[in-house]
Formats: sequence, structure tokens, C-alpha cells
Amino acid sequence: MTQTPSPAPEPPGGRLVLSPAGTWRGVRTLLPVAIFVIPFGIAFGVAASERGLSVIQSLGMSALVFSGAAQFPTLEFWQDPIAFASLALVVLAVNARHVVMGAALSPWINTLPVRHRVLLLSLLSDPNFASGQMALRAGERDLGVLLGGGLILWVNWIAGTAIGALAGRLIGAPATFGLDVVMTCFLAAMVAGQIERKTKILPVMVAALVAVVLLDHVPTGWNVILGALAGGIAGSVRHAR
Amino acid sequence: MPGDLAAWAAILLVAAITLGSRLAGAFLMSRVRMSPAVEHFLDNLSISVIAALVASLVARGGLREAVAVALASLVMLRWKSAVWAITAGMVIAAAWSFALKS
Repeated sequence: MTQTPSPAPEPPGGRLVLSPAGTWRGVRTLLPVAIFVIPFGIAFGVAASERGLSVIQSLGMSALVFSGAAQFPTLEFWQDPIAFASLALVVLAVNARHVVMGAALSPWINTLPVRHRVLLLSLLSDPNFASGQMALRAGERDLGVLLGGGLILWVNWIAGTAIGALAGRLIGAPATFGLDVVMTCFLAAMVAGQIERKTKILPVMVAALVAVVLLDHVPTGWNVILGALAGGIAGSVRHAR
Repeated sequence: MPGDLAAWAAILLVAAITLGSRLAGAFLMSRVRMSPAVEHFLDNLSISVIAALVASLVARGGLREAVAVALASLVMLRWKSAVWAITAGMVIAAAWSFALKS
């Protein structure tokens, strides 16, 4: 256990708090972003009902999982029987970034009582992490900004899912509106958004290549798992040099 | 299509793993300092799994999906907006379907 400098200097004055006022500020800050979560939620609801999930199952998944990056891939496994082991591994790998985000926020979050930490972290997602971390580095003392941002994203994600799941049949074939490509484009945008960091190009290329080459040679989902591991290792090897 | 029990088991499994991953980072850090090597591996793993997913979805789809993904990626690289990237992908895919129908 070595002591390295914490990611942010311990800010002067005042303990960190978690207040309704701060939570409300988080809600307002992320409202513009959260509005755009609704169409993604709709796309998920439509895709889920296409794959045979009931309305309750779609809503349950969005409320309990609250992660497009985990939920869309889960639909790929929606057949009988479900390949639980592959599903678990894919979700584990997709979620690896949460571990990194939680670790990055730990200097602030770990000053709170455990039940508050659990509350905040259970709503952790990319947008409220990004804006919350920025605010905290700039001297924000109220962790409610993270909670509020997470809450408004969560509510809109569920609302969008409900619209998509209920109106899916009215919307008709998702291809008409391009709704069927939303998931792939969302995931592609996440990759493209990170690739500006040059070190990410190699892992992305390796992962994509391995996944495509193995596509027809391994059981469902394993090409993705093996591709991801190959990419992760390729990136680490490059880093170690 | 999976049965009701299997479906809910899958939903709870995914929910539990996702919640665990959200809690893990901060709780691990309260015990040990994560080594930079581990942090890099996790970071690369997160992006790699998504890249692998996109690649296999595109490989299984057709030209329409490939064009939509390429456009979305370009928009993201150029304008750094996920919203516009996805909108662009949707529009081209919808236009493609429309053009084929008429």
C-alpha cells in the first residue's frame, strides 16, 4: 500500500456535504443533457419490445440497471436459453469504466457516510460523472450535484423507456426512423469520443479486429469478450513500454 | 424468447453487476491505492469491449448499418457531440430505408 498524491488537492475550508440544495443544482445543471436521454430511452424501449421483453421487464431493467451501455448488449443475449455466463462477462467488461470513475471520485465521496456513498454511486453514469468531477475540482463542496445529475438522468431514462416500450407497436418498424441503429451509433460515438486520446487507437483496433475475426468461430458473445480482453492487454502492453 | 423467470434472473444479474461496478471503485480506494497498471487495464478494457461490440454488430449488419456508424463516428470526432452523432446516424439510416422503399 503506497501513498501517492490524491487526484485533487484537499480543498481548503468546509467539509463536503450532501444537501437538497446541491441536489437541486445537479438536477438543473444536467437537465439539458438529460432531455436527450429520452430519445435513447425510447430507442431502448423499442428495441427491447422487438426482442420480446414485456413493458414491465423493460421498465424494470431501465430502473434497476440504468445504463445504456449495459442494457443494449444485454438484448443481444435475449434468447432461450440465456447464456448467463457470457452475459455476465460482457456486462462486467462494459462496466469496467465505472470502477475507474468511482476511483476517480473517491477522494470526495469517501468523506461521506457509507449509506450516502451507496446512494450517490448507484446513480453514477457518464454525464454526471463528467460534470460532477469538473465541479468538484473547481471547488464545489456539495456532493448533491452528483446525486441530482444522476436522478434527472435516471428519471428521463425510465420515461424514455416507457414511451418506447408502450408506443413501440405504434411506431412500427424501428428501421423507418433509424431507431434500430441508435444503439450501434451510441456505442460508436462513445468509442470515437475517446479515440482522440491517441493511446486508445491501438486497443480499439485490436478489439474490433479480434471480435470480427472470431465472430463465426466462438459461442455467442465470446468474440466480444475475447476482443475486449485482447484490446485491454494490447493497451496495457503499449503503456508498459 | 426466454421465460419470465429466466428474463428476471437476467435483469437482476445485469443490475447486480452494474451496481457492483459503480460501488467498487470508491470502496476499493478506501482500502488500497489502485495501481496505475490496473487502472490503465480497466480503462482500456472499457473502451475495448465497446469497440468489439460495435465491430461485431457492424459485421453482422449490412452496408446501411456500416454507413450509419461511420457517419456517427465522424460527427463525434469532428464536433464532439454524442447527440449529433447519433442523430446523424439515425437520419442516414432512416433515409436509406426510405429510399429503398420508394
